[in-house]
Amino acid sequence: MDLMRSISIAASGLRAESGRMRVISENLANADSTARTAGGDPYRRKIVSFDSQLDRDLDAQTVTLGRIKRDTSAFRLEYEPGNPIADAKGYVKMPNVNPLVEQMDMREAQHAYEANLNVIGAARRMIARTLDILRG
Amino acid sequence: MSAAALAANAYTAAARKYGGDAAGLAAPNGGAKPDQSFGSLLAQAMDSVSETGKAADTAAVNSTTGRTDMIDVVTAVAESETAMQTLISVRDRVISAYEEIMRMAI
Repeated sequence: MDLMRSISIAASGLRAESGRMRVISENLANADSTARTAGGDPYRRKIVSFDSQLDRDLDAQTVTLGRIKRDTSAFRLEYEPGNPIADAKGYVKMPNVNPLVEQMDMREAQHAYEANLNVIGAARRMIARTLDILRG
Repeated sequence: MSAAALAANAYTAAARKYGGDAAGLAAPNGGAKPDQSFGSLLAQAMDSVSETGKAADTAAVNSTTGRTDMIDVVTAVAESETAMQTLISVRDRVISAYEEIMRMAI
């Protein structure tokens, strides 16, 4: 039944968005994770991508979380001469995570998740209304 | 998914029986296949419903042990609920039609 398939497809959206949320929380949690040793790189921001995928059982395009890529932009530099992992000039490399950007990504993930939830709710209501005819 | 379709089939088969033969449920040559009575169709639908119910149960149990996604539980439960309600509606409908026939003055 198409409506049940819609629910399954929307569920794949929920799964993908929750994966995105996981990556965002990783980024936010590691916003201040520096390198372990001097000269090493700190945490590099992760970027999610979504893949559309043909689900043979459903005969429809569902969405999955694609490969998680790394943000190649430059690291922030903070002047901390006393830090043991600071470079010769006294700078410590900080992760290239911008909490504001993550906040916006999070909002986006939240809205996409809710949109998929609404699809599930609407499909369920449609099924229930159709069944109401049978109850008569 | 399949349970809902099966129940719908059962319903159409039952409806065809009523249309063709006023004697109703027990008529051997009523609707779809000669040996497929409404009872067996209903039994099939029942099996299918209990299967989706089992799937929902397994998903729920696995989620408590952290093996399944909560999303899987929600979809499995929604699916089994839909199948169940379809079956219940079909059953109620057929039984009320049967009672209607039994009330007929002869």
